[in-house]
Amino acid sequence: MSAFVILSLFALLSFAIEPLNRLKLFAVIGLMVALFLSYQGCAVILSGFDATPQVSFFEMIVFIVMIAVVLHEQEGINITQLLFIGAASTLLLQSQTLLSFILSFEALSILSMILVAFIQTKEEADGAIKLFIAGAIATALIFMGAGLYALDGHSLLQGIEMPHTPLGHIGLWLIVLALFYKLTIVPMHSWAIDSYANLSPTHTAILSAITKSVAAIALFGIYQDYLVEAGIINLYALIVFALITMTLGNFLALFTQRLTQILAYSSIAQAGYLLLALVAAQSQHASSGILYMAVAYIFMQSSLFLMVGVLGKKPTHLTLKDIQGLHHQDKLTALLMTLQLFSLAGIPLLAGFLGKAVLFYAVVDAGFYIVAFIALLNSALSVGYYAWIIKEIYFEKQTHPMELSITQTSRVAQLILLLGTLYFGIFAYTVFAYA
Amino acid sequence: MIWLIFLPLLIAPLLYLIFGKTPMVKYFTLGYFVFLLLESFALLGTTPPSGYLELGSFLSVEAFDFVLDLRIDYLSAIMLILTSALLVLVTLSSWSQMSASYFALLLFFSGPIFGVFATTNLLWFFIFWELTLVPMYFLVGIWGGERRIYAAVKFFLYTHVASMLILLAFFILYKESGYFDITMIKESMIGSASLVWWLLFIGFAVKMPIFPFHTWLPDAHVQAPAPISVLLAGVLLKMGAYAMIRFAILLLPHQAQNFAIVMVVLGVITLVYAGFMALYETHLKKMIAYSSISHMGLVLIAIATLSFDGLGAALYEMIAHAFIISPLFLIAGILHHKTGSWQMHDMGGLMQKAPYLSAVFVIAGLGALGMPFTMGFIGEFTILISAIKSFGYPLALIALGSIIAASYMIWSYRRVIYGELSALVAQSDFRLGGVEFGALVIFALVIVILGIFPHLIFESINTAFAQFVGGAL
Amino acid sequence: MSLVSALIWLPFIGAIVTFVLGKRNEKLAFWSAYLTSGLLFVFALITFVGFSEPIVIETTWFSYGEIVVPFGFYIDSLALVMLLIATGLGFLDIHFSHDYMASDPHQPRYYAKVLFFIGGMIVLVSAKELTGAFVGWELMGLASYWLISFWHHQKAPADAGVSAFLFTKMGDIFLFAAMGLLFVAAGSFDFQTLNALATQGTIHPTLLYTVALFIFIAAIGKSGQFPLFPWLMRAMEGPTTVSALIHGATMVNSGIYIVARLFDFYVASQTLLIIAGVGALSAFIGASSALVQKEMKKILAYSTMSHLSLAFIGLGAGSLAMGMAHLTNHAIFKALLFLSAGAVIMSAAHTKDIFKLGGLERKMPLVALFMLVGAMSLSGIPPFSGFFSKDAIIASTIANTSTLIATFTFVAGLLSIAYITRLWVMLFLGTPRNETIYHKTTAPSNFWIALPLGIMAALTLLMGFYQEELKHFIDAKEAHEAHMGWLMPLLFVLMALLVGVVYLFYFRRADVRDKLAAQPLMKSIHQVLFNGYYIEKMIFWFAHTMVVQGIARAIFWFDRYVVDAFIDAVPKIAKSITDTLGKTHNVAVGYQSSVMLLGVVIVLFVLLLKGLV
Repeated sequence: MSAFVILSLFALLSFAIEPLNRLKLFAVIGLMVALFLSYQGCAVILSGFDATPQVSFFEMIVFIVMIAVVLHEQEGINITQLLFIGAASTLLLQSQTLLSFILSFEALSILSMILVAFIQTKEEADGAIKLFIAGAIATALIFMGAGLYALDGHSLLQGIEMPHTPLGHIGLWLIVLALFYKLTIVPMHSWAIDSYANLSPTHTAILSAITKSVAAIALFGIYQDYLVEAGIINLYALIVFALITMTLGNFLALFTQRLTQILAYSSIAQAGYLLLALVAAQSQHASSGILYMAVAYIFMQSSLFLMVGVLGKKPTHLTLKDIQGLHHQDKLTALLMTLQLFSLAGIPLLAGFLGKAVLFYAVVDAGFYIVAFIALLNSALSVGYYAWIIKEIYFEKQTHPMELSITQTSRVAQLILLLGTLYFGIFAYTVFAYA
Repeated sequence: MIWLIFLPLLIAPLLYLIFGKTPMVKYFTLGYFVFLLLESFALLGTTPPSGYLELGSFLSVEAFDFVLDLRIDYLSAIMLILTSALLVLVTLSSWSQMSASYFALLLFFSGPIFGVFATTNLLWFFIFWELTLVPMYFLVGIWGGERRIYAAVKFFLYTHVASMLILLAFFILYKESGYFDITMIKESMIGSASLVWWLLFIGFAVKMPIFPFHTWLPDAHVQAPAPISVLLAGVLLKMGAYAMIRFAILLLPHQAQNFAIVMVVLGVITLVYAGFMALYETHLKKMIAYSSISHMGLVLIAIATLSFDGLGAALYEMIAHAFIISPLFLIAGILHHKTGSWQMHDMGGLMQKAPYLSAVFVIAGLGALGMPFTMGFIGEFTILISAIKSFGYPLALIALGSIIAASYMIWSYRRVIYGELSALVAQSDFRLGGVEFGALVIFALVIVILGIFPHLIFESINTAFAQFVGGAL
Repeated sequence: MSLVSALIWLPFIGAIVTFVLGKRNEKLAFWSAYLTSGLLFVFALITFVGFSEPIVIETTWFSYGEIVVPFGFYIDSLALVMLLIATGLGFLDIHFSHDYMASDPHQPRYYAKVLFFIGGMIVLVSAKELTGAFVGWELMGLASYWLISFWHHQKAPADAGVSAFLFTKMGDIFLFAAMGLLFVAAGSFDFQTLNALATQGTIHPTLLYTVALFIFIAAIGKSGQFPLFPWLMRAMEGPTTVSALIHGATMVNSGIYIVARLFDFYVASQTLLIIAGVGALSAFIGASSALVQKEMKKILAYSTMSHLSLAFIGLGAGSLAMGMAHLTNHAIFKALLFLSAGAVIMSAAHTKDIFKLGGLERKMPLVALFMLVGAMSLSGIPPFSGFFSKDAIIASTIANTSTLIATFTFVAGLLSIAYITRLWVMLFLGTPRNETIYHKTTAPSNFWIALPLGIMAALTLLMGFYQEELKHFIDAKEAHEAHMGWLMPLLFVLMALLVGVVYLFYFRRADVRDKLAAQPLMKSIHQVLFNGYYIEKMIFWFAHTMVVQGIARAIFWFDRYVVDAFIDAVPKIAKSITDTLGKTHNVAVGYQSSVMLLGVVIVLFVLLLKGLV
């Protein structure tokens, strides 16, 4: 029994469960069981899948965040989808061979598309279509890549080997580029700007926080050895991607007014940081770096998107002006939002700081001082817009009250996510124990 | 010790969430800070004259040398006393402030600032260092003046960018030495020591601040509410100087030796440059802010001497500066609060309306211009001697700072407290709460008493640096 | 020893007590100060009577690093003379203040500051080291600032205080620097050690020369020599009792004292000629400017400058005792003159302009008499004290220095009689020029006003007979004095001539004077003299136009439009980067997909080209 089986089972059964509260309880139970199984280190009993401690740990984190999402969510269908995505994430995280990796990735990809297919507004349709098309391109790329790699004479039923000819390298790079789609790395990022900004915030939370960090961990797991061996030029290419991505994301976020759009850009920038782990592949700290970064990122990003979701009738239309003086209206929400934003900004004693610190150290450790320096400057730049949001919340007067739709369970969800951000901001040994 | 750091961090958000406007938080904060002050004295008492007082290791992550090692030496203990004394005085000066969040933020601030002085782990040091920014950002941004948002954001970003350099330097130190703990790092382990030194120097120079990285300070100080200016000048700037001594000097003495000339040149430039800025400034609080920068130039010169006496002089001047500049900021704040103007030429004749307030202003100002029998003189004098001793006769140039300081200070007396009664001053009511005035009197007394009897603190200061004699320095 | 500590601490404690008591009851302020200053004088006297050899107290102030900063006391004959002057004249001054300040509402503050002032002087003269002396030096500067702008609610005194503080501070920073230089070069702050080291030639000559000049610049500031003298005249805005204190008993003496204290040092440094030169120039400027002033206090102020210069010249000519003797004499007769002027001002409805007074001899004969004594001493008429020291100085300049210095000194010495006769004649003789003021004038109290004047007048006379003893006391190894037989008759003839001219111009034939003054040439000379050779204007121009509006403003501009503008430009730069990047972002789905593919193609192409594979 693995988390995958349990979650698939619960997802299927969840179609039959009503009303919402009971469904939530059901989903939470399912996720708890999955959590327990991951804690036990159970792997999918198929060839090509295995659960290393690192993977099991990250599964647990994913399930905790999913519990929070479930608690928060008001739409039954999304909960079902979430459970499916949880199952697929387990697969992707545990995949050890290229084939299982590709298949799990496709599964996750399709599930994401199905998730966003629950379209209610015109904007959501816009976002969904962009995601869909980009996903299609990525799928094509990934199969082309796999094909080329296979043509080079390698078996897909094992981990990545060093290719014999350029063909194999190109194949592997095509797969990476396809993964960039999920990670929203430049140049595969542009769909995300609109999708993240326009889709319902719950969907975005799942897509940008959960699936992205799962994909990043999985990519790192399967590519690390290849990158260490394949020569420095690969790393230089990745450096260019990473730096462009983070710089672009941060600069675009800097003067944006729409809240979800800022978060979308910020999510792109964070993807740039995640990619640095691949750059630092040869450092022994790279795996703890990406794990820490992903853990931190999943908590703060999902928390923020979920929170934006309850800030009004049309959350995707919220601008900075609308949240002015929020702390007058709801101290707790203001504080929660501030903490998560500070975490994204990399302010210490919050998980975001340690995530970045370990990851950037890995880059320094790999010898790329200047890259680390640019990344640090990027991080400082990002403080510009995060601090600006906080400025709107605290320093401005409230002109008109917001229509908050915060339920008790969503408060609980937020507290769970906050706890994660705080816990991993202080008790670093937990992550290092699994890395 | 660990609770002195983390307890405020836990309590402060609760105070914010639970209380709105209540004097209870104020009393609680004051009580806690008084306790901190006593505790700091107790720590100084137990600190061994050389080496560290071990206060335990926490949250250990062996794989990353990420351990919250708490240990203090004399230098840290003195900084802790200075900090907690200022926190008490700041609380007293904010007595008319009623908002619970304000005091919650002050309380919050006390945690990381203790951490900064109490840990020897670079990464934890950095964590606390950055964390001090957060309450400051809110304190300036919420309770500040007209351009508070500009000032708060500028302050936050500027110093944050500088922190990134520091973090990079710490990473390089760790990579090359394998330790985050400064008690384990030896300069000889560091291959790119000069790169590290420069990163650290610039990072700390922003905080001190040193020309040309000073421009955040006038904005932040001017827009911050007066008690927060005191925290900025008295604690945050000192934190920069402390870090400069501890990391740029004591950790990397050879690099510091190589680049001492850079420090001394920048120090002199800062001293004179900021002095001239103050001379031309008509905005009272900005003038004081520039005066503050100017004195930090002196501190840098003293640090650059890299000598037993020079470092002692630097530490003394840091303490002196904290006590001298604070009442000036507070009074400037009071004047603005009562008259609604910052401009010195709008004022005049304050002595006739508020003689005792003016007297404190005069005493503090005399400290700033280096009048004997105030702390300012001892600071300038010791730095002058040490600088000439280390860098030769041309450093007698420092005396020039004294006439510049005298010019802007005396001229500000002329414009603000002497002369004919201005209409603005005449119509304002300068009555002060007893507690606020009490805080001012304490500042004035400290300035004079420690100026007449400097040996009271020089004994501790000498102990703080005695262990570095005969070392690499 | 305990007496010395009492001397040091008493004025400061007394100042605080005076202020606190005075706040309860105005009257108590005076009595407290009176008692304190009386005690101080008694202490000084006891020390004097029991004096056999220098009293030395060594204490450490503080130590930092391996440097020990001492704060010891050393009272020898030189210090003792200064102590007696400071405490004795201080006591008389406070006595005089009883009436002079009677109507002032701020007496507690006044008396507290006066005591503080005296305390500063005591610290300065009894200090064993430069450090202690500097402390006293600065405290006195501070007290003088406070006292000069005592009436701080008026514009003029407030401005005068600023200029007094800054002019002296300009000099002080050189003393400050000198302290640092000397300590590093010689390893000591101690006056006697420094003297000894300099004499032995241990200190590098260039450094010695520089430091000597630095300290002399400080002395120039404190003692009002060229070019840092304008504050002396501005200082007249303070109460006249304060002027008497500053110009007689304390402040201005300190510059000369510090040079005297380091006399061997100066001899070794070979800067005496410069001192004499600056002194001669200042003496001439002071004496000539004093000739044309309208306010009686300004006349006296320029006269102070001129006579302090004489003391400097005395030192510069190589004689410690001569300079100090003149300083002592001057302290007494100048305090007498100032307090007499104060008595006149107080009685004559606070009129300072001598052209509005006249004929006052009938109203206050005692004051007129005592002032005459002071005036004669200042002019150098025997047997009053001033005669002996002044003539000796002129004689020694002729013998020991250059012709130029001697000429200036000679002229300056001679002119004393002219301006002081002018002052006295205008005040006391002739007919009243302003009837209303004249009628308002009442004779001052005999006990509170006339008595101290009488005591000082008597002292002036008495000191004339003890000049040799004084010199011997100050410096036992005093060398043989220059005597010139022809000098004294010449001086007397010229002096008589000058008195005649003044008498004629200001008493008999004022019309001739007015006609002469109407000449364009005379008018411009008059203007130059009246404004003290425009030195103040020049310094002000330099400080204001060059330093504040020039350098400071340029730096201000640089800071705002270069350093800070650079920081403030960052958001703008970021904005333009953002805008440029934003243009690449198109919402059309097809476009986005093409970008993705284009990206892929480019990446692969580049990788291939780079020889990745």
